[in-house]
Amino acid sequence: MTASPSFYAASSLSAALDALAERGPQGAPLAGGTWIMRAPIRHEPLKPAYVGLDGVPELGRIEETDGILSIGAGVTHARLAEAVAGRPELRVLAEAAGRSANPAIRRAATVGGNLCTTDFAAADLVPALLCLDAEVEIASRGGTERLPLAAFLSLRHSLEPGRLLTRVFVPRSGAVSAHARLPLRKAGDYPTAIVSLSVTRDTAGRIAQARVAVGSVETVARRWTRLEAALVGTPLCGEQAHRAATELADEFAGRDGVEAPGWYRVSVLPVLVRRAVIALH
Amino acid sequence: MSVDAVMEFRRRDAGDKLTGRTRYTIDRGAPGMLHAAVLRAQVASGRLAKLDTSKAAALPGVRAIATAADAPGRVGIGIADHSLFVVDRVRYVGEPLAAVAADTPEQAQAALEAIKVEIAPLPAILIMQDALAPGAPLIHPEWEDYKILLEGGARAGNVAWEATAVRGDVDAAFARPDVRIVESTFRVGRQNHMAFEPRAAVARYEEGRFHIETSTQVPWTVRNATAGFLGVPASQVRVTVPPVGGAFGLKFDVAIEPFAALLAKLSGRAVRLVNSREEEMLTCLFRENAEIRIRSAVTPAGEIAGREAVVLMDCGAYGGEQIFLTTMTAHTLGGNYRVGASRLVSRAVYTNTAPNGAFRACNGVYNTFALERHTDEIAAALGMDPLEFRRRNVLGDGDLGATGQKFEAEVLRPMLERMEALRAAAPPRRQDDERLYGRATTVGTWFVFTGPSAATVNMNADGSATLVTSGVEIGSGSMMQGLPQIVAATLGIQPEDVMVRQADTDAAGYDVGVGGGRQTVSLGAASLQAAQEVRGKLLAVAAQMLDALPDDLVMQNGRIEIAGPNGAGFSIAEVAAQAQALVGPVAGTGASTRKGVPSMPGCAVGHFIDALDIPVFAVHDCEVAVDPETGHVEVLAYRVVQDVGRALNRSAIGGQIQGGVVQGLGYALHEEVSIDADGRIRQNGFETYRVPLAADVVPVEVELYEGAPSLGPFGIKGAGEVPILNVGASVACAVANATGARVQELPLTPPRVLALLLGRQPELDFPHISPRWDDNLLRPHDQPT
Amino acid sequence: MPIEMTVNGEARRSAADPMTPLIDVLRDEFHLTGAKPVCREGFCGACTVLVDGEPLVACLTPAALVEGREIRTVEGLSAGGRLNPLQTRLVEHDAVQCGMCFPGMVVTLTHFLAQTPRPSRDQVRAALTGNACRCTGYERIVAAALDVAGV
Repeated sequence: MTASPSFYAASSLSAALDALAERGPQGAPLAGGTWIMRAPIRHEPLKPAYVGLDGVPELGRIEETDGILSIGAGVTHARLAEAVAGRPELRVLAEAAGRSANPAIRRAATVGGNLCTTDFAAADLVPALLCLDAEVEIASRGGTERLPLAAFLSLRHSLEPGRLLTRVFVPRSGAVSAHARLPLRKAGDYPTAIVSLSVTRDTAGRIAQARVAVGSVETVARRWTRLEAALVGTPLCGEQAHRAATELADEFAGRDGVEAPGWYRVSVLPVLVRRAVIALH
Repeated sequence: MSVDAVMEFRRRDAGDKLTGRTRYTIDRGAPGMLHAAVLRAQVASGRLAKLDTSKAAALPGVRAIATAADAPGRVGIGIADHSLFVVDRVRYVGEPLAAVAADTPEQAQAALEAIKVEIAPLPAILIMQDALAPGAPLIHPEWEDYKILLEGGARAGNVAWEATAVRGDVDAAFARPDVRIVESTFRVGRQNHMAFEPRAAVARYEEGRFHIETSTQVPWTVRNATAGFLGVPASQVRVTVPPVGGAFGLKFDVAIEPFAALLAKLSGRAVRLVNSREEEMLTCLFRENAEIRIRSAVTPAGEIAGREAVVLMDCGAYGGEQIFLTTMTAHTLGGNYRVGASRLVSRAVYTNTAPNGAFRACNGVYNTFALERHTDEIAAALGMDPLEFRRRNVLGDGDLGATGQKFEAEVLRPMLERMEALRAAAPPRRQDDERLYGRATTVGTWFVFTGPSAATVNMNADGSATLVTSGVEIGSGSMMQGLPQIVAATLGIQPEDVMVRQADTDAAGYDVGVGGGRQTVSLGAASLQAAQEVRGKLLAVAAQMLDALPDDLVMQNGRIEIAGPNGAGFSIAEVAAQAQALVGPVAGTGASTRKGVPSMPGCAVGHFIDALDIPVFAVHDCEVAVDPETGHVEVLAYRVVQDVGRALNRSAIGGQIQGGVVQGLGYALHEEVSIDADGRIRQNGFETYRVPLAADVVPVEVELYEGAPSLGPFGIKGAGEVPILNVGASVACAVANATGARVQELPLTPPRVLALLLGRQPELDFPHISPRWDDNLLRPHDQPT
Repeated sequence: MPIEMTVNGEARRSAADPMTPLIDVLRDEFHLTGAKPVCREGFCGACTVLVDGEPLVACLTPAALVEGREIRTVEGLSAGGRLNPLQTRLVEHDAVQCGMCFPGMVVTLTHFLAQTPRPSRDQVRAALTGNACRCTGYERIVAAALDVAGV
């Protein structure tokens, strides 16, 4: 029988980074635990060692300086939803954080966990933060670096041990945003497809800049740049956006899952685009 | 003298259940108890080449390992085709190979991993089409050697059981010049009960006998089947049942109890075995998947001259409940309507998948779906309003069922009228959006699964009574509301003063089990009889005490008095105490069983029940909105008119109807079971198997229809099983009406509905169901062996 | 190293491994069997307990994360066996059937009603997104909660 995992409760960021470095590939960070604790259902072994981030104060802060919102990786979905409520620019984030999973999970699951779980295709925060042009901070004993979220998503599966996602930076832009997710049950589920949208408008009310991110359709969320380009210069019109999305949706290869086939996820994208646009009004 | 058992009595167990004090089987244990685990096959089909437990047995903490050699017997329904462990052939993913008991759950798991298993793979047959293909490999090559427990069913190869019901000249009906033929095909998936409490047992071996505490609906089946598997006399097994945390038919069969019992005997210790959720998902005795072809010959005026149908039921790797359920096709698909002549065949088919089982209203749910969708297709073909078609054709007084049973009284027609009044009372729900709106009213026929039940009532000298039965508390109102009300009403005491003992096969007589809508009916009849005996004895003693005739006495409000104003009398406690002193403690016993309503000779072959003792009818109405872009179906309103015979406790019945309808909404819309190419159930828990949540449901508008004839005590019928019966039908018909699409399958998940609307879903085609009805039979209906 | 916590007002010490789910500590070590392990994946809510006053699913909460925290289980919501207002209303509404979901339902809704004293029907339903019930069809539970709130 394998020994049960060890657990070290870090009380500061430097202690956490030290502990992760020392444990190397044997160790992993644990914040809310909502994904790691389901390892038995996935028939995955636990790591030999976990470094608890719960008691690291730096990771729990939400701050705003110089027009940049900085969200600690240890902030839970519930706290994030509350913190950004009522701000049209961040509505996409409030909805992503406030509607994912269920209330008890939202009280435990963290921003960092949502972004770092490579096998979780239906994560709500990922597309929401992508459309907000977020950056992430990766810290290690050697120092910190900052990189765009999209870049992080492409390297997260190969992140060396000892490196920890510590913060997310969301630049303020004066845009308006919306999050359209499609669970199978009305009451709530992991969404089968997500469209996150953030736009700025020119003085004539036309779309000056659009950022669209698509989640849950493929294994990793990504920006839909062709649609973004197609939207620029158009009025904020749900039908028009729907038409543009219909023409471009074939660039997605939907993932087949137990809950929904790939074609379904792609089929509903134009509807979600329209819903997101209409929600901006 | 008549007594009134109608009350609004509240459950006495609610407080404990709300404060976490109720101890279900999973909450129980014993000092020094061992923890058991079951080694399960990971392939769907293969030959067991090697099973070596020697290394596992030597691991620390391992106290016992059981294998096929310890359980020589075979059990089953109709045919004994099921052994406890794989003997030499693996037939489904999850089939038990060995069981281990150890000091800790971790040690038990470690022992499982240390058992060496070699299985030589064989081709797996995962769908009925392949099982029925000519030359298909046999899932039970030794099928002819199995012991037959009930004669009459046709069997051969991968057809585990075949039941036929034929009445009248169907060929002549179809050949009539004035009829048109309407044909429909349907398919449904499996449904998982998702009972919150998994199957669980704590077993001991004491004084040469097994004692099993278990989460079951059928203590006597567990007793007898455990003995059958282990090859011991049934009298050596005692089964007791704590409160059960959800069952819905899942626990209507023996499950993991024999493993725990065997390990308790081998180890000499108490043994606890609890299924993990994953095991529950993998080995759920699902409501079976099925395929149905139905054809009807109807006249322009809407008369159903003839009908024929083929129903294929996937029983999984072993026959189990599906063998029995072949019977129910005649009463459900053959129910609802007056039909000139009909022939129905229901076939339980083996596949290399997890065995299926019983689930609330069983195959009635999908047969009703098929029949009601077919009925709407008939109405559409005739250009007739579907409600009008039903009004003309529903079973009425003196009409014949598919086995020639004569139905009594007009029930469905007045129920339909009630529903029309309910419909008329509220405008259709519409919102100002782009969704497609539709509604449907459907009818359904189900029954009460009568059969043997026993009860004893002990009258205590303090004026309270104890009711002893083998009934099980599963959350329905029977044990907590219906039965104490019946006893209390008969004895003139308060229902609070009737204790209901938990099931114990050592304490109460045989009982079929809690399910099939039978508990308040069958246990109620036995309890009523037992209470009446007590009543008679008390009245006799009181008559002596009062120097009066028993007939002149009234027994109510805790007293026995001479009838009339200011009649002298005694409290029931005083009478009971006096009786105890004079002749000893007062007790009464009661028993009930099937009445045996006649069918027409020769109509039913291979059936377990030829006619329904107590038919139960239901009329449902459903309004839906369908999002044509995402395939989401929202249920906007739901109404039920249910035939209850007589309502003993309206609140309890209302709770069953709301809960049953919502389970049906899950079946109709959300709950999907799929099987991967390796034969493994893909849904492994609550994430992937979606039950309805609070925001997915609507308050069900309920009207109880009373007064239909019933053989049940006080004229009651079972009310808890039937609410799920026509939910799939109602939703499917409403969605078809809303969208104009030909709905042939359940569940109507968003992807399935969208596929239907986008034309991505080809029409069902069943090459394994012959268009000629007779060609589907193993042997002609009128030539039973 | 033992994990220390307060459970229903009492200081407790667990010898469990740090990654042991809290639900197993409560049930197997402290014999508080009210909370139920049903799905073990955070979807059914039957194991919901209050951790520092907030409802969490005990199946996904490793014991290490409750070090020094205050835990309240369904057993701790009815001091001396006296039902709280929500429990009383659930009895009155005849809401209970098999009962396995109620320990979690009661914890979730008791907290919700304290936070949201005058909820709408839709708010109550949304609060129950993580609390499944297989028996009742929910309506009486929702009605009882609205009744407590007097709306």
